[in-house]
Amino acid sequence: MANTNARASSPTSDACVIGPQTAVRGSLSGQEDLVIEGRVEGSVSLSGHLIVAESGEVEADLEIESIAVLGQVRGDIVASRSITIERGAQVSGNVRAPRVMINDGAHFDGAVEMEVDLPDDLRKAAR
Amino acid sequence: MANTVIGSTIVIDGEITGDEDLVVQGTVKGRVGLRQNIHVEESGVVEANVETATITILGTVTGDVVASERAELKSNCRVVGDIHAPRVLIADGASFKGNVDMDG
Repeated sequence: MANTNARASSPTSDACVIGPQTAVRGSLSGQEDLVIEGRVEGSVSLSGHLIVAESGEVEADLEIESIAVLGQVRGDIVASRSITIERGAQVSGNVRAPRVMINDGAHFDGAVEMEVDLPDDLRKAAR
Repeated sequence: MANTVIGSTIVIDGEITGDEDLVVQGTVKGRVGLRQNIHVEESGVVEANVETATITILGTVTGDVVASERAELKSNCRVVGDIHAPRVLIADGASFKGNVDMDG
């Protein structure tokens, strides 16, 4: 019953994984990295790095430290560090993080909110 | 082999369903329905009704367990709830309170 399979999609050998044949409905929280290869519905609150793999389907609001999306996400994403939407990913929802990266070939539908340091006069005009 | 690992700091409150092995090192509350094997490790806490093929418990389970093949309670595990399985194994050192039903 070894659970140490090397996984190309995970950065650490002992990562927490929701496998491709598994569905989670409800709330998920934790303080470590997580790889979603299956389906998650509800909410995810994680102080760690989240990877939504190509096969991953997430229908949830996400509150995490950082995230890389290669699969599908429907819901709002709030990250304290960064959000990366990779090629082939499909994301619909609003995203908020200090750093948001959308790569070529990604599909994104929603609003992006980063902190933008505008000069005072411009800030008034922008709002 | 594909499987799912719920890490030690992870808490899931809700429902887990699937068709692959599940390793619980963290906390799962609610309901678990699997057609494969569940492995509750020493650090694992399951507060849920569980339906599975086989379950191996080294940690803590509160809730009813229905296993279509086998339920194994290892030494030092803590289990409160009823167990339905054709084969139930309880090791020396395990703590268990509940009914055992091996007749399906």
